[in-house]
Amino acid sequence: MGNLFSSMFDRLWGVNKELRILILGLDGAGKTTILYRLQIGEVVTTKPTIGFNVETLSYKNLKLNVWDLGGQTSIRPYWRCYYADTSAVIFVVDSTDKDRMATASKELHLMLQEEELQDAALLVFANKQDQVGALSASEVSKELNLVELKDRSWSIVASSAIKGEGITEGLDWLIDVIKEEQL
Amino acid sequence: MSTHTYKKFESGDSGDLPDKMTIYQDCMTQFNESPVNAKRCRILISRLLRLLANGEVFPETEATALFFSISKLFQHPNDSLRQAVYLSIKELSGISEDVLMATSSIMKDVQNGSDLVKSNAIRSLSVVLDESTAFSAERMLKSAVVSKNPTISSASLVTSYHLLPISENTVKRFSNETQEAVVDLKPFPQQDIIGDYYPNSTFITQYHALGLLYQLKKNDKMSLLKLVRQFADSNNLKNQLAKVQLIKIVNELVQRDPQLFPQFQGLLYHWLSNKYESVQIEVTKVITSFAATNQRLVSPELFAVAVQTLQSLLTVPRVTTKFAALRILNRLSMVSPDKILICNPELESLINDSNRNVSTYAITILLKTGTEKNISSLISTITKFIHEVSDDFKIIIIDAVRTLSLNFPQEWKAILNFLIDVLKNGEGGFKFKNNIVEALIDIVSFVPQSKELALENLCDFIEDCEFNEILVRILHLLGKEGPFTSNPSLYVRHIYNRLVLENSIIRSAAVVSLSKFALSKKDTSLRKSIVSLLKRIANDPDDEVRDRAVIALQFIENSNERISEEFIQSKYTYDFQSLESVLSVYMNNNSDSFETPFDVSNVRKITEDEAKALELKRKQDQLHNSRLEAIETCTADGSINNERADAATYAGPSSAEDQSELLASKYADELLSIEEFKPFGKLINSSNVVSLTEPEAEFVVNGVKHILKEHVIFQFNITNTLNDVALDNVAVTCTPEDPDNAILEELFSIPIDRLLPSTEGAVYVAFKKSEEIVMEGFLNNLTFTTKELNPETNEPFEGDEGFEDEYEIDSIFLNAGDYIKNSFVGDFTTVFDELPNEEVAVYNIQENITVQEVIDKIIVNTSCLPLENTQFAQSESNSHILKLFGKSALTGVKIALIVRIVKSSKGVALKAQGKSENATLCADLINSII
Ligand SMILES: Nc1nc2c(ncn2[C@@H]2O[C@H](COP(=O)(O)OP(=O)(O)OP(=O)(O)O)[C@@H](O)[C@H]2O)c(=O)[nH]1
Ligand SMILES: [Mg+2]
Repeated sequence: MGNLFSSMFDRLWGVNKELRILILGLDGAGKTTILYRLQIGEVVTTKPTIGFNVETLSYKNLKLNVWDLGGQTSIRPYWRCYYADTSAVIFVVDSTDKDRMATASKELHLMLQEEELQDAALLVFANKQDQVGALSASEVSKELNLVELKDRSWSIVASSAIKGEGITEGLDWLIDVIKEEQL
Repeated sequence: MSTHTYKKFESGDSGDLPDKMTIYQDCMTQFNESPVNAKRCRILISRLLRLLANGEVFPETEATALFFSISKLFQHPNDSLRQAVYLSIKELSGISEDVLMATSSIMKDVQNGSDLVKSNAIRSLSVVLDESTAFSAERMLKSAVVSKNPTISSASLVTSYHLLPISENTVKRFSNETQEAVVDLKPFPQQDIIGDYYPNSTFITQYHALGLLYQLKKNDKMSLLKLVRQFADSNNLKNQLAKVQLIKIVNELVQRDPQLFPQFQGLLYHWLSNKYESVQIEVTKVITSFAATNQRLVSPELFAVAVQTLQSLLTVPRVTTKFAALRILNRLSMVSPDKILICNPELESLINDSNRNVSTYAITILLKTGTEKNISSLISTITKFIHEVSDDFKIIIIDAVRTLSLNFPQEWKAILNFLIDVLKNGEGGFKFKNNIVEALIDIVSFVPQSKELALENLCDFIEDCEFNEILVRILHLLGKEGPFTSNPSLYVRHIYNRLVLENSIIRSAAVVSLSKFALSKKDTSLRKSIVSLLKRIANDPDDEVRDRAVIALQFIENSNERISEEFIQSKYTYDFQSLESVLSVYMNNNSDSFETPFDVSNVRKITEDEAKALELKRKQDQLHNSRLEAIETCTADGSINNERADAATYAGPSSAEDQSELLASKYADELLSIEEFKPFGKLINSSNVVSLTEPEAEFVVNGVKHILKEHVIFQFNITNTLNDVALDNVAVTCTPEDPDNAILEELFSIPIDRLLPSTEGAVYVAFKKSEEIVMEGFLNNLTFTTKELNPETNEPFEGDEGFEDEYEIDSIFLNAGDYIKNSFVGDFTTVFDELPNEEVAVYNIQENITVQEVIDKIIVNTSCLPLENTQFAQSESNSHILKLFGKSALTGVKIALIVRIVKSSKGVALKAQGKSENATLCADLINSII
């Protein structure tokens, strides 16, 4: 009886379903670092990602399928091959990389235009906050023109993958939105 | 939903390939599902792999879509699914450019994956790495090479091997580790033992390591030698493929430097008794192929033991071993058939082997090693056998028999009976029957005694033959040969039956064939009946048949006998190459909308004997080439060349021969188109091309001697191999070797105005000669003015006077052979005996020259056709009899030669015996055969 109840409950909350989450952003933004921070809670040494890393993690009773795609110019065209069935995009920005804010903004808006991502929620990490001279979350938001985004739940969170700050807060927000909107 | 499902393609036995589009759709849905069902995906990938392995291809967009959906399976941690994913990535890498997207995922498995997937991951590295990423894998590869786990170590070695062309430097950095991997015997790790089963390591890592090591050191002879010494002596190599590889390295070394062979002889001897069959095969291959070109360096004992080893391998149960041994024996059978005679009993028992590849090979070898003594018994063996094999094998056998008929014309009766038997009783398709008919046509044209028997049987055959093409060929043959047989009317009946019973294609051929009998001298009564038959056919419903009948009637009833003969039983054909070029000149020069009729008299005519000579020569060359090929494939680093030596024998005229024929007719055409030579009249004969300089000289010159009725023209083809210098006013001065007794009178020469770098041009020097055969030698000097070229314009610099220079080239000799055309006779001995004038000459050559070289030289010098297969020296024997036949190009007078060649320690002695209708010709030729 308890079994039946819990499985009904599971289905209600979509526990059997795996949520697909993409981590995107320019190269060196800290995507891979964030992925493993989430999975094993530690900082790992990374190499530039040629292709992608994918890890499955459980978070608040949900199974997350997190895809970290490489951000190098040559790899960005392949992002779209992984858009299908995506619940949310985590866009990581290196807040100290002021020269490339425009590029980051362009890539972000280009991506969000894609049909397949219309229902996906967006979480932006203004990463590397531990560095001096990093732009604040609201400055990054302005650079990225986030206010322009309509018909989409989005949020920007200041983070430091190295120190582990902001990451869980951001993810909590994201899961709440997904639960509300998609399950 | 039913729990019982059945899918057609899931049963393993079903030989059907799954449908491509279904698989594609299934992949797209299954792989993108969430969560992934690992087991189902794995089965699906295996089906996809099966498709790909069967040569199915996906268009690029589909291949790309497949790749990306497969890449998504990396999300699933299941090891067996991973393995399947890696396999498919490797397969898809050929079609899709995007495999680099798997790089990070692969690298992660290489570092952190389980032992099970690690080796698969490493193996797929080779398809994703490129020049820029290869170095980043160096550390991973190196540590995998030294892994104690043999599969991981092997995977890394193989991947490194494939990385060589991409980034050799990366791989070089762990050549020490590779060297260690050769001797490090790696058993499977203990923890992998499942239950009682403990897999024995085959130590295949040794092979992979040695293969890689060889690639790294192959250009360094000394370290290869060291390598062989290191691994051969100690008993380190346990893996049989590694041993085979080591033998291949030895082969490589001795092929490069034959003098090394003696020092390996003991080792090779030792390997011959190795317990592995593959090792034995490889060693025998090395020994026999090396011996083919370096007989002196191989001790006869070693060779004999190698053949004995092959002999014993013919009796092992393993089919592949037998087959490999047969392949080696087959090559030997072409080079030195006498040395493998001891294998005949084993070969004979293999004729009945249940594996048809084996039995067919055995037969072809036996046919090749056949001697006069055993031919008829061989033929009776294959008569029993041939009806049981498939068409492909039948064709191979027929071809081998066909060669036999050329080699042993005196055995024609047995061969003919065999062919007729298979033609009439054998089941088989067009190709098979056509090959038989071709073989029969060969016998008819080259063995005159066989003619009537063969024709009669072909007549029987066409009464019940379903193939148009074959019927037409036979009808042609009957028309050509039938009128000259003792009983022509016999054939007329069969041909007429075709006219009544068959379709229009065959009727047309039959009309032509029939008309030829009207002129038969053997049975003059035929004329009347054929005319009345043809009149009846002139009402045939088919246009072509009717037209042919009407034309034939016209010719037959024409009162001028010469005309009828010329058109109905013409004794010559036109040389097609020459016809083609004259025709195309005619078409291009058309200035009066074809008012001037085409003049066929410029086209070279070929009489029947000449055509036969040409054909026989072509066949001999083919045989010869396939022998050379056999030797070459033996020597080509013992690698697996996809050759089938016996197939090469019949590959048709090789392009090289066509080239030389084309070249000859090109030279003749060029010559005839030169205004100055027009008054000289017809070109009677052109010699082979003789080279007058070393092939690597600055100016490469070769010569051709053209004979006309009262003139001789030397053509010097000159190639300027310099890069930046033009040659102006290139001429050749010819000085008689013996100026006091000069016979030929130089008329004029045509120089080349300018010869640019890397171009060829011709200088002609014309002489007047009497109508007889004139022989003379000339010293030649090339004269020219060199001018440096302006690289911008490719023209000489303005005002450059250049400077004059000369260059000595070899002498050119006009020989008796230059006046001879090769020609064919069916029964050499009779013709030789009947010719009236005899001449004998004796030569002693004090050079170290092989019998075969002497034979080749004589054939070139005399321009005669070697007959009865005497153009090949027997490998072991020191004596040889060469039979040659030709005709004077000037008068058509016949000449036959028998040359006896004996080789001794002092040199080679020749006794040439010539017979001819013309005594002078005979003496002249006999005195200049070498
Ligand atoms: N100071 C600081 N460094 C960070 C932070 N996050 C990541 N990094 C560093 O930034 C560098 C790049 O990080 P990655 O995670 O490899 O970047 P990526 O976005 O995955 O890069 P690509 O794979 O090339 O797209 C690494 O040296 C990280 O240690 C952060 O929050 N603060
Ligand atoms: Mg990364």
